[in-house]
Amino acid sequence: MVSNSNINNVKTKTIGEIFSKDPKIICRNVDVFYGEKQAIKDVSIDIASREIISFIGPSGCGKSTFLRCLNRMNDTIDTCKVKGSISLDKEDIYDEKIDVVTLRAKIGMVFQKPNPFPKSIYENVAYGPKIHGLSSSKEELDFIVENSLKDSGLWEEVKDRLQSPGTGLSGGQQQRLCIARAIAVSPEIILMDEPCSALDPIATAKIEELINQLGKNYSIVIVTHSMQQAARISQRTAYFHLGELIEVGETKKIFTMPEDKQTEAYISGRIG
Amino acid sequence: MNKNNSKMLTADEASKIVASSVIRRRKKNARLKTYGRIAIGLAVSFLIFLFVSIFSKGIPGFFQYYVTLDVYLDRDRLDPKGDLSPESLYNGDARSIVLESLYKVIKPKGRKEKKAAKKIISSNADVRISKMVLDDPNILGKIIPITFAVDDDIDSFLRGYIKRETPSSERRINDKVIKFVDKLSAENKISYKFSDYILTGSASRSPEIAGIKGAFIGSMLTLAVCFIIAFPLGVATAVYLEEFAPKNKITEIIEVNINNLAAVPSVVFGILGLAIFIGIFGMPRSIPLLGGMVLALMTLPTIIISSRAAIRAVPPSIKDAAYGIGASKLQTIFHHVLPLAMPGMLTGTIIGMAQALGETAPLLMIGMVAFIVDIPGGVTDPGTVLPVQIFMWADFAERMFIQKTSSAIIVLLVFLILMNAAAVILRKRLERRW
Repeated sequence: MVSNSNINNVKTKTIGEIFSKDPKIICRNVDVFYGEKQAIKDVSIDIASREIISFIGPSGCGKSTFLRCLNRMNDTIDTCKVKGSISLDKEDIYDEKIDVVTLRAKIGMVFQKPNPFPKSIYENVAYGPKIHGLSSSKEELDFIVENSLKDSGLWEEVKDRLQSPGTGLSGGQQQRLCIARAIAVSPEIILMDEPCSALDPIATAKIEELINQLGKNYSIVIVTHSMQQAARISQRTAYFHLGELIEVGETKKIFTMPEDKQTEAYISGRIG
Repeated sequence: MNKNNSKMLTADEASKIVASSVIRRRKKNARLKTYGRIAIGLAVSFLIFLFVSIFSKGIPGFFQYYVTLDVYLDRDRLDPKGDLSPESLYNGDARSIVLESLYKVIKPKGRKEKKAAKKIISSNADVRISKMVLDDPNILGKIIPITFAVDDDIDSFLRGYIKRETPSSERRINDKVIKFVDKLSAENKISYKFSDYILTGSASRSPEIAGIKGAFIGSMLTLAVCFIIAFPLGVATAVYLEEFAPKNKITEIIEVNINNLAAVPSVVFGILGLAIFIGIFGMPRSIPLLGGMVLALMTLPTIIISSRAAIRAVPPSIKDAAYGIGASKLQTIFHHVLPLAMPGMLTGTIIGMAQALGETAPLLMIGMVAFIVDIPGGVTDPGTVLPVQIFMWADFAERMFIQKTSSAIIVLLVFLILMNAAAVILRKRLERRW
């Protein structure tokens, strides 16, 4: 447990409000190293329940690295070291007692490139519930699959061909299938790493609408290169630059009255 | 750029220079193409030469000459005890019955001619009669036409390898025998048909009845053992090295050594097997189990290398996806990585098996070169394998073994081609797109 007294008592250079009233994830003084190279420098931020927060910033600023720290996806990289504390519901996720399996069941992830398994649509969605033992019968599993596909807005398009391969769908459909796969295990938080960067504008619009819908039930952290997208879908925005979290705040405020000069320069298109 | 007068070329000048160099480049291209075509032409002609040579020698090896005789199956002489038991039948005097019916046709006069006549029919004829009676005792006491293989020298004579013009003293068969063979031909008793022995017989010193069945079964048993040992071990090693092993000096040394092992001459593995399996563990020699173990040692590096390549080729995005929804490392490997890597791993394994199928040297080391007439019934029965059988036959003096050697090579080649085709089909079948 991270003690309550010092979580809001943190030194940070970040401008804006890093704290939330109802924090789900609390990150304090997080440093990330790839070998010798420091990719994230002293980042502290809260992510609230049922909020959509977007991470923006120029390429290589560390926003994806930071996102992948939240569900310990960086564990797979040998040279990656994380310092500082990240807690989910006040429990340190880097604690030795925490199993990444249970952590990742709570924090789902959607990747930049749609990556459905080379299996049927049904199998793609059912895989998570199956390995976590979330259903005790075929009917329950069918129900989960159907609901997840409905929630991701894909059900109407695929209900007649659940057994056809997931890789045969269009890019946008594949990405929604990946979202359905993520929500099938009933996570609390969904991390999205530039989910629309490989999609056309129509598919992007559908995903954005879907993210808005999902924001009612899940916390969503989305990394994006499109500032318009951040402005359209997120309630809060965090601006990263060279591994540092420069400014955090209400999306409206960040995009209209950024306090920091770098944020302003990025938003107005002068950096990045 | 001009050295004396440093300025950029005009577009006109540049295009002239480019145009002149284009001709040179085209010529170079054309030359390279020609070299490539010559190389391929040579390779194809060698291949055609190889196949024509093997098939022209080997196809006749699948056929042989037979003589058909009306045989009186005398009950008393064939079944001296009268109980139709195998022992009684094998004690019977089938040989004299066969010779009797032969004499009826060729009518030899005197001891010398009879001696010559005995050389015509394969020594296997009496076994054939005993087997026929054992299968169907009702034929006893009847006269029925039976076909026997002719002796290998007669076969070679009928094929024209032993020439009539050659002086009798330098021929393997004398003039009397030739006279009898002519008589049999004249009475239409001699026929040329698909060999009863090449595919179903086992090793024999008499070439007319030698076959590859024993060696073939031995090869299958050896390969089965090899696969059962090498495939799981190879895949497990590859998975460990790719997914679990820490990246440090020890892992690096292991990797380099595995790659080196793939290049070690196979006979070395034979000596290793001889020293360890026979020398230290005291396993019996000549058995397919031992052969399979030695070949497994030899194919392991191939399987490990190809399996690692296949595992590495699985897109990381699939692993990310599995980890992202909370699959454990083991689940990710077994549910996603291995199924996707399977076509590549199987291809590598089949290629390794094909290599093992054609391997001779290491098996010589562990005594699989022994002359074994019995067909092995299990992995612990002594046996030999196809390539070793070919090696042994190639060494025998009898003319007929030359054809048999080529026939055995054809069988081996057909098997290798089938295995490689299976590899291609498997890869096509299992390959999925992502």
